Amino acid sequence: MCYQCINYLRTKNYIPPFSIFILFIVVNYTFVPNPILDSYSFTSIMLFFLMGWFTITVFHTEEEGQKVITILHSKGQSAYNRSLFIVCVAIAFCLSTVSVIYPTLIGAFSEPPSVLHLLMGFLSHFSLSVLAIALSAIFTRELIRDRQNTWWGVLSILIIAVVIATLKNVILQVKGLIWLLPPVHLVLEMMSSDDSLKYIPTVFYWQFAWIFIYSMLWIGLFFFFLRHKRKW
Amino acid sequence: MNTIIELQNISKQYKGKKVLENISLSVYAHQIVALVGKNGSGKSTLLKIIGGLAHPDAGVIDKHLPSLNIGYVPEVTPSQILFTPQEYLYHMGTISGMSRKQLQQRIDYLLTIFNMQEARHTRIVHFSKGMKQKIMIMQAMLEERNLLILDEPLSGLDAKAQSDLEDTLASLKDNGLSILLTCHETKLLENLVDRVLVIQNGQVSQTNPLHDTENHQNRVIFEISSLKSLEELLPFIEIQQQRSLNNDIKELIVTVKQEDTNTLLLALLHQNASIKQLLPTNRKKEEFYTHF
Repeated sequence: MCYQCINYLRTKNYIPPFSIFILFIVVNYTFVPNPILDSYSFTSIMLFFLMGWFTITVFHTEEEGQKVITILHSKGQSAYNRSLFIVCVAIAFCLSTVSVIYPTLIGAFSEPPSVLHLLMGFLSHFSLSVLAIALSAIFTRELIRDRQNTWWGVLSILIIAVVIATLKNVILQVKGLIWLLPPVHLVLEMMSSDDSLKYIPTVFYWQFAWIFIYSMLWIGLFFFFLRHKRKW
Repeated sequence: MNTIIELQNISKQYKGKKVLENISLSVYAHQIVALVGKNGSGKSTLLKIIGGLAHPDAGVIDKHLPSLNIGYVPEVTPSQILFTPQEYLYHMGTISGMSRKQLQQRIDYLLTIFNMQEARHTRIVHFSKGMKQKIMIMQAMLEERNLLILDEPLSGLDAKAQSDLEDTLASLKDNGLSILLTCHETKLLENLVDRVLVIQNGQVSQTNPLHDTENHQNRVIFEISSLKSLEELLPFIEIQQQRSLNNDIKELIVTVKQEDTNTLLLALLHQNASIKQLLPTNRKKEEFYTHF
């Protein structure tokens, strides 16, 4: 994992998505005061899309020839891809933390956020980031040969995931379908709560947990496809 | 000769097309074996199967050493390695699970035998292709190996880099390593390789035409005025080509066995033939080169 991290940093492939992340955060909090949960909701969605970008660049950091060599040393594709997922999650963790801490430090909110706001802010960023990693990984070169399809695939699934949130009422008419679709809508619903929230309802914890479980299922699907697809 | 790995009836197919069909071969200790064949003949697939990177559809791979350790150098050499040899080898060794002390000793040893101590702290991205290829071999040798598999190791290297790498491979063989490689370079095959395996139509056959001295012939190009005078020479020669020049003079290209060459040349000179060219040739060798 240490090698993957250093290699990724040296390729500088992170610069475009990271620059956009910084730009969005700075511009979003240019004017003060801002509502707390609404702002976090917006930056969570922004990070959701950017994590798709980060995921692709992390998974495609090494050249094909080097990838074969690293896999050989890793004693298997699963160990190799696990390390890539860990790098992505580490990026998601750092950017989620920055997204929550930065506006607090510059006093961008109308009132100082409570621990409750910070926790919900972090969970909304981090859960959507992990979801984006899980959805995007399916379209990386490990499973998709054509790189153009990678970008279209990632962009499509992330957009669809957000669009689903606006079509929830229609989707609910088909029983059980909502459970199959990416649960971005759960974060948007939770973050639309009023800033005067005094405690985090238990159902919120379950909803965040479901987003992580849903992401894990997609990551499990990634490894399932990987094992059943022999490119060599 | 001690067999280190033996393949029995290996078959592999892709998308319904048989790439390898009932292939059986052995690799012996302290030998360099070359696998040659046309593009798409299945060379790389066979190397990957031997290296454990691909699974055969049928057949058995029998490792005769209890802990046969195989190093693999892929065909494509990465061009953008953003590490120094020290860093790169350290990372690859760490990923392999080697201890820090053992790894550092091994890196020092490899940098010494590959003559790359001075480049230890230079980023690999700035290296020539030949030096990058050496790094690729070094990473495959981080752990103690019995067999090193190289897929087209000399591909794309200039003459000097090829020569350097040949020396390196020869010294590795002297150090007790067995090497299995694919290549197109005839110089390497002639100078370094102990055995040549030809892969064709999914089958492997062993051949050694490059060290074959029985089939040496000479090709003679000469001009002569009368073909009748050649009749007594016909048992010695095989006419490859003939054409008429001006003034009823004919030009002939013939092949003759090495031991009959002097007789032919003497007879031709006696008959006022003009010898234009004499070239050594080996039919089996020429047939062999059609595999590339």
